[in-house]
Amino acid sequence: MPTKEDTNIKHHKTMRYTMPRKYTTMMLLSVMTLATFTGCKKDEDEAPVTPAAPTNETELITTVRLTFNTLNNTEYKYFTFIDLDGDGGNAPMITADTLSSDSIYLLSVEVLDESGTPVVDITQEIIDEGVDHQFFYEDSSGLLQLAYGDADANNLPIGQTMSCITGLAGSGTLKVTLRHQPDKTAPGVSNGDITNAGGDTDLEVVFPLVVD
Amino acid sequence: MVPRTFHFSLYTLPLPRTNLMTMLSMLAWRTVLFAQDPGCTLTLQGRVVDAHDGGPLAFAEVRIASLGRTVQADAEGAYRINGLCPGTYVLQVAHIGCGTVEQRITLDKDQRRDLRLEHHEHELRQLEVLRDRPDEDVGHARDGLDREGMEKEAGRTLADMLSGMQGVTVLQTGPTIGKPVIHGLSGNRVLMLNQGVRQEDQQWGTEHAPTIDPLSSDRITVVKGAAAVQYGSEAIGGVVVTEPVELPREAGLGGEVRLLGVSNGLGGGASGMLQGGVNGVRGLGWRLQGSGRYLGDSEAPEYVLSNTGVREAGVSTALGYADHRWELGAYYSRFARELGILRASHIGNLTDLNNAIASEEPWYVADRTYAIGAPRQTVDHQLAKAEVAHAIGERGRLQATYAYQADARQEYDVRRGGRSDTPAIDLFLSTHTGELVLKHWLGEKVHGRVGANVLHQVNENVPGTGARPLIPNYRKRTAGLFVLEHVPVHDRLELEAGARVEATDLYVAMYTVDDVLLVDEPVFRNGAVSAGLNWSPRDSTRLRFNVSSAFRPPNVAELYSSGLHHGSAAIEEGDPDLGSERALKAVIDLEHAPANSAFQVHGTLHASRNDGFIYLRPDGTRLTVRGAFPVYRYVATDAAIWGGDLLVTWRMTERWMGTLKGSTVRARDLVQDEWLFGMPADRMEGSVAYRLDRVKGWSGVELSVHGTAVLTQRRYPVGVDLMDPPAGYGLLGFSAAATRAFNGNELRLGLRATNLLNASYRDYLDAFRYYADARGIDLAIWITYAFGDRSLSRAPARNP
Repeated sequence: MPTKEDTNIKHHKTMRYTMPRKYTTMMLLSVMTLATFTGCKKDEDEAPVTPAAPTNETELITTVRLTFNTLNNTEYKYFTFIDLDGDGGNAPMITADTLSSDSIYLLSVEVLDESGTPVVDITQEIIDEGVDHQFFYEDSSGLLQLAYGDADANNLPIGQTMSCITGLAGSGTLKVTLRHQPDKTAPGVSNGDITNAGGDTDLEVVFPLVVD
Repeated sequence: MVPRTFHFSLYTLPLPRTNLMTMLSMLAWRTVLFAQDPGCTLTLQGRVVDAHDGGPLAFAEVRIASLGRTVQADAEGAYRINGLCPGTYVLQVAHIGCGTVEQRITLDKDQRRDLRLEHHEHELRQLEVLRDRPDEDVGHARDGLDREGMEKEAGRTLADMLSGMQGVTVLQTGPTIGKPVIHGLSGNRVLMLNQGVRQEDQQWGTEHAPTIDPLSSDRITVVKGAAAVQYGSEAIGGVVVTEPVELPREAGLGGEVRLLGVSNGLGGGASGMLQGGVNGVRGLGWRLQGSGRYLGDSEAPEYVLSNTGVREAGVSTALGYADHRWELGAYYSRFARELGILRASHIGNLTDLNNAIASEEPWYVADRTYAIGAPRQTVDHQLAKAEVAHAIGERGRLQATYAYQADARQEYDVRRGGRSDTPAIDLFLSTHTGELVLKHWLGEKVHGRVGANVLHQVNENVPGTGARPLIPNYRKRTAGLFVLEHVPVHDRLELEAGARVEATDLYVAMYTVDDVLLVDEPVFRNGAVSAGLNWSPRDSTRLRFNVSSAFRPPNVAELYSSGLHHGSAAIEEGDPDLGSERALKAVIDLEHAPANSAFQVHGTLHASRNDGFIYLRPDGTRLTVRGAFPVYRYVATDAAIWGGDLLVTWRMTERWMGTLKGSTVRARDLVQDEWLFGMPADRMEGSVAYRLDRVKGWSGVELSVHGTAVLTQRRYPVGVDLMDPPAGYGLLGFSAAATRAFNGNELRLGLRATNLLNASYRDYLDAFRYYADARGIDLAIWITYAFGDRSLSRAPARNP
């Protein structure tokens, strides 16, 4: 513990003195020197501030494409989401072909970065990390009968390929979600129910759905 | 052991007698309290004068050793001791540059007695140069935390330590990141001065804790007011000052070693300090200090807060020399930290955020671990400072300071394709600051400071992140001039007035989403004025009043940020047309501590008007490949913020003491006519402390129980936040400390428990309130061994 003796040295302020004029002058000179020092170096350090090149976004996803093809490969239908400039800038473009009723399709997803050349295909990256990823498909009006067509190392679904059966004609929306680190063993998740999946969302795209 | 008195000095405030009472009210249980015998009402007063010329010896110290009471004379040498019993006392009178003189005095009625001291002018000058408070604010309300106070809070962040002060709360980003909030304002509205140098690592946004090792300083002071005149831009809400270390000036060696264990996070820390003076070179002193902390995942009462580990390490070293004309100082510190960021706070989009809000538990909970994975951040702060001061004339002083700061920051996000080890944000900020200050006297009484400061700062995004920068590259230059004068009207009233002009220019370069290079060069010019008074109508009462303006040029994030913010699942858009924020704040601070009453009261009222107050306002949603995100834009509004703090201290007996604190803040957006978002809820704290001076070889034994109640924030703008403010909560804490002599040195032991009842709660000022509860019960135990020269092992701290 400090004792009073420890703190005997202390601040002081007696008020009996004035400052000689020459020091006022000295002060003014110093201030001017400082001002000059900062005022003169205008442009020399702007160059390093300017970034040499725009950053290449390595994880940018510009495009999500769903391909529906019939088993005999006679019919190809595409759903695409394209946002070439990423977040902000121009709004994404979403297009979807009309699916045929009473048909059996193979559905596959492609995830691409088309912002530069060459186009980067991110699909394989997702399959490689299949244990940590799962696609979910939510059909608002029950027009599609969907089942997982692939599996990860733990024999749990990834959802990059699906089987898809259409029945009645109708319209609604199809929401495609890619979850990162979902709990694939939670109830319903391996059957495509996103409710208990958890994880964080890598992709979430809603397509208009028309079956005719 | 000599009875313990308040161990940081009160010597320099303009009206020390009342300041003594202030300190008593705040720290009464660590002072030696004299018995409140009803018959003991005598007063001894007089002046301490120079034996040669009869001139006043300002701030001399008068001590009655047998009572352990010390008072300090004021600027005119006047002293006063109240509440004395009839009897004979030995007075010890000390003044810098004089030897201590003892005088016997017998009291049977109120007495006036002048005390004469042999005084050596030359010595006086020599020591005056040694010590210098960073600033002399007359009217600003302030609060301080000394080394001992910090010791009791060992293991907590700087912001947590400060949150014990009235009117100071913490803005959390999960359990590991905290920033102080002063009267409702935080971030770029609270200036941090570390060792007298503006801490620049706050330029990057809200979710960055200040990179300061609290243990590298002997004292932390919080100024609660708009103090731009003294400190420059950004001091709108207040200023946090970690004061420069006081180096030993005499030969000797001392130091201390501390170990710390913490239950929540199951980790600990260690720190050490060694300092000394050099034989044969009077005035030369040095200090070496280092500390480290290592913690695993924190735990909420019901689950592990996964990925919230902490590692940090800091070193600092100081070297200084002072003689009667010159003072030279050099300081270097480095502080590095790696923080895990709650895994469950990394979310993909608005759907995830809504899921997180709907869910009781975080979506990611794993077993407790020490590993830190993504998301995480690493920061590294280095500060080098050189200082020279020269006495000018009899009382003047010219001081020049140069400092360089280097801040590196990497943020690692959860990324695809094995990129989690590549930082998504990699920033390097280098800042040069220079300051020239002249302390001067105008005539006999008026004194003050005039000065200039400059800043040159470059922020660079280190290439290779593979992610578009959130904060662009920029260069910032600032130059300011200020003057601050004090006018002591008489010994009970001192006035202060000041003004500052400052200009900032920015050069910002960035690529737009279409890869077009965009350059902007805005200039901000600002002025600030300040007026304050410090009035002590009676010995027991002190009133401080201050009206001051402050300003803050918008920071680069507010001007140019553009893009997705993962932690908040929001798109944030800056506005390059924003102007400087300006605040006008009035603070009244009243301390009343009657000598013959067991109650002491300290209250603060504050009101401010903030023009051009910048905040994030929701502006629809935007569709991205990750789904919909809310868009927030930085907009400016006019805001009014007002509130009050109250502290009541009750000295029940010599051993028992109670305190009650309350704080309230109100903030309105005057343009939208609604409450401002993110203001602290009303809070109350109470504590009961029991103190024993001696128990079986232990001294200074202190036990205290404290409770905190935070109400639900009901004043918030509708539609801004996705979640209503969380419910109010109550917390219980406990602390104990004791000291023991050990081989001629000193051993201090302490225990601290926070959230003793393991309550589950979320705080409105925690950005992670959407995702998880706050930390549960936490027990910390610390032990300090102080050795060597006692007078060196703990430098006499500065006063607030």
